[in-house]
Amino acid sequence: MDRKCLLAIGAGALIRLVLFTAFPSLPTILAQRVEISTPVTSYKRLQEGVYLYTHGVSPYDGGVFHQAPLLLSLFSILPPSTIITNLLYVLADIFSAISLIQIASSGVPTVTPHHVSPRKANSWPPWAIAAAFLFNPFTIATCIARPTIVFTNTIILHSIAAAVNGRRGPAFVSIAMATYLSLYPALLLPPLLFLTYDSLKATPKPSIQAFSAITMIMLSIVLMIYFKLSHLITGSWEFVASTYGVHLLLPDLTPNVGLWWYFFIEMFDSFRAFFLCLFQLHLLIYVPSVCLRLRKQPLFALITLIGISSIFKSYPAIGDTGLYLSLLMLYNHMFSLMRYTFFLAAAILYATFLGPAFYYLWVYAGSGNANFFYAITLVWSISNALIVADAIYAALRDEHETERPELIGKDVVQI
Amino acid sequence: MTLLFARSHQWLTPSPLEILSRLLGFFLVFTLSGNTVVADTYKEKLDLQPLSGQFLLASFNFQNHGPIEAFNKQMFQLFPRSLGQILQYTHTRELHLRFALGRWDSELWGAQPGDGQNAGGTGVETWAWVEADNDVEAEARWTSLNNALSGLFCASLNFIDSTRTIRPVMSFNPTGDYPTTNTSRLFLLHGSLPKEPVCTENLTPFLKLLPCKGKSGISTLLDGHKLFDASFQSMSIDVRPICSPHTGTCDIEIQQTIDMVLDISRSLQRKDSPVPRPRDQHELICDTSKPYASNEYCYPMDNSIDLPWSLSDLFGRTISGGCPFAINLPAEETQHVCIRAPENKLTTMETLELAAPTLTEGQPDLKCYMLRENVPFDLSFPKQQPPISPLRQEPLLYAERSFTGHGQEHGGVKTVLRNPNPNDPIEVVYLESLPWFMKPYLHTFKAQVLPVLAGEEDVISELYYRPALDRKRGTQLEAKLIVPPNSVVILTYDFEKAVLRYTEYPPDANRGFDVASAIITIPPQRRRSDGKKVPATSIRTTSLLLSLPTPDFSMPYNVIIFTSTIMALAFGSIFNLLVRRFVAVDEVQRVDLKGKIRGLLGKLKKGKTE
Repeated sequence: MDRKCLLAIGAGALIRLVLFTAFPSLPTILAQRVEISTPVTSYKRLQEGVYLYTHGVSPYDGGVFHQAPLLLSLFSILPPSTIITNLLYVLADIFSAISLIQIASSGVPTVTPHHVSPRKANSWPPWAIAAAFLFNPFTIATCIARPTIVFTNTIILHSIAAAVNGRRGPAFVSIAMATYLSLYPALLLPPLLFLTYDSLKATPKPSIQAFSAITMIMLSIVLMIYFKLSHLITGSWEFVASTYGVHLLLPDLTPNVGLWWYFFIEMFDSFRAFFLCLFQLHLLIYVPSVCLRLRKQPLFALITLIGISSIFKSYPAIGDTGLYLSLLMLYNHMFSLMRYTFFLAAAILYATFLGPAFYYLWVYAGSGNANFFYAITLVWSISNALIVADAIYAALRDEHETERPELIGKDVVQI
Repeated sequence: MTLLFARSHQWLTPSPLEILSRLLGFFLVFTLSGNTVVADTYKEKLDLQPLSGQFLLASFNFQNHGPIEAFNKQMFQLFPRSLGQILQYTHTRELHLRFALGRWDSELWGAQPGDGQNAGGTGVETWAWVEADNDVEAEARWTSLNNALSGLFCASLNFIDSTRTIRPVMSFNPTGDYPTTNTSRLFLLHGSLPKEPVCTENLTPFLKLLPCKGKSGISTLLDGHKLFDASFQSMSIDVRPICSPHTGTCDIEIQQTIDMVLDISRSLQRKDSPVPRPRDQHELICDTSKPYASNEYCYPMDNSIDLPWSLSDLFGRTISGGCPFAINLPAEETQHVCIRAPENKLTTMETLELAAPTLTEGQPDLKCYMLRENVPFDLSFPKQQPPISPLRQEPLLYAERSFTGHGQEHGGVKTVLRNPNPNDPIEVVYLESLPWFMKPYLHTFKAQVLPVLAGEEDVISELYYRPALDRKRGTQLEAKLIVPPNSVVILTYDFEKAVLRYTEYPPDANRGFDVASAIITIPPQRRRSDGKKVPATSIRTTSLLLSLPTPDFSMPYNVIIFTSTIMALAFGSIFNLLVRRFVAVDEVQRVDLKGKIRGLLGKLKKGKTE
């Protein structure tokens, strides 16, 4: 890590600490924003869970707390001081930035065993990628509001950093932890397998089938250990229904930036189960297709799946989008191939500013109704989806130009 | 036999079936009183108490005792059979049912009658001790009890489901005696329906349970139009077993009460003109102390004058004689109508035969009258000169509860408990039953004492909390706390408002959702300063109106279509890229718009020439 990286990390930590100390009411205000905190990540709900847990009431026998038991024990052993909690969140973000620097330094975004980007000279240096993460307003707001998605993001980034360096153990222990914390990182398993396999330094390489089988067994053992630990902590298995059940069945319809909440408020009761299955399967169907088509760039497939799940999962927040956008910066070298950058950036800004305004009009001023905020979530989701699609276009173009260098700079069509 | 027929003619209902049942009832009473067999004893009493601000509290009390053996054998005498069979079928040992409307203004009226034991929260409230082997069986019996009571009382009691049922831990104790029943087999269940509008259809079945069915006795005064026009009214039914500690015999007791606070001036005005009209200017009494008071401007003074009234003025009718079941009792129990007023306050009687009231020793301000069968009774209260201020009993505790915060996302609840006693602290149990869509944060639950005293920071001694489960169970919060003398305890907590599915909103979704009254119970205790006993008292706060964020109810189809379109668009644009391959533009034969039109025209020409 060079001086510039340290400088970026220092500045990122400083801005967070300044925001925490100079505006003591800011964390509370941001923690109540539906765009940042969801029922499965909210810090206020975590506090409630810890309070109930330390007072001998099972927090999973209630409708407020839906987060993993290990978080509960972590926060119950922490001293009840705001400064320490805030520092923990700042540290998590610093750790994420370090992981991003490791990923960028490994060179995997531009050079994989199957693909070398012709534009690799254009890629950003690691410190710039760390800065893009640390100074991303979505990331900063998420860190200040202290939802537990911060830890999931850190763990995902750490897992990727381990994978690009070919360290299978840490990569899968981490992804198991991320899955345990918020379920949807399970979608990242196949690309992570490819990524780890491609980065393996061992010679001779084992076959991909054997490698996958061993990894999956290891992963299941680790997951089982996590579950058993949780069972020991809470004394019962009811946490499974109260955490993963909520992700899957959406009993809490609190508004968020995603597509699910209003759809299932307005859904006819007889079709609710059908559409719940459909929405979950919809998310699942991207995994094999993205992995197969982007086999040459498994890291990009993984980032794409992070982007897709940040749009279509049951309780998304801007923290998920922040993670996706920061990871996308690793592929900065091919942004010149994207077609709608200006339009999409404008749409994202539009949704970012109008979202809180329309939410205020609905919930506080009473001069708007739920459709106002719903319309903004539609704009937000479609612009994010088009960013994902445009990035895929750029990546495929990049691959295509490696195969046929004579087409660089020429118009292409898809058939 | 001829005598019996002569009696029955004077009753108002002409239905032959009812006459027959009355005859049978009479026959039973005669035979039982003739023999030495113990029959049901029935008492009824009306207590009138003028309250400050030209209000009158009328408390009706109907009480019936009967041996429990006869009850268990389904031999009902005066105990209402319809209710008795429900209780037996559902194994309910003790039942308390409350219908209430309006707010008891304790600042103005003082302590509630009967220590608040007969009052309920706004709407319908019910709790019962059900005998069962386990919790599941108790729940099933509770459900069938509510369904049956719902039919009997024409109330929506069948809507008391698992989300509206709680199992209080500290607030309620059985008031009956259970010498033979194992108390671990008794399950207490409590339910409330704060939104239920209590009205005439609940009063009619209530009166039907009485032996005289509102046709004679003090219950003749109970008219729906007057009762539900009152500023506060509360109907209660309590059934419980009572055992004598000396003989060991057990009775089943049913007690029905109605407390109503009548606005005297409003009731008198209703008598003059049934349609409410503004008063004429010359009838107005103006407050001349106002700076703008003149011939043109008048600030009307309400309820300031001591109005003369009589029972027939207020209730629209007189008492049509005593209930036959309640007059053949020992002399000390036949005080049917009592009025509590200052000693020197005058009362006059319309009926000469009943002129002299009975005076109870030690209570000079209580005047009681005895009703005679078939002799109408009226009581009038003339204008007093000079006006006498009514008696007011200081309540043990003042309680009020309100919402804080704004917006439809989150809010807070603030309860203020004030102990007016200058010397003694008071121990109270605070119980709240919240609907599941109001999600409280217990970590924000705070008790603050004002004025701040050293060593009194922690007033909550016990806390019982059962969090809500979405669509399955409501929140139950029960706290035992001590309110220091002459101070205020403020309880606060934050909560979050859930968004519901659009089918879960009521038709008037923007009106909001009613949150049941908080129940404050003061357990029996001894005062520290004088060692006097404080009886068990119960206080209800008002119910609250919770407004939740509402979706647009008119657009389920639109939302399904819009969201699906966005998902299809995302799916389409991503899969379009994933499944197709790139080629250079000049490698494919491109057909542009011009070419397409040319091709189309060519086809048309070809067709024409053919």
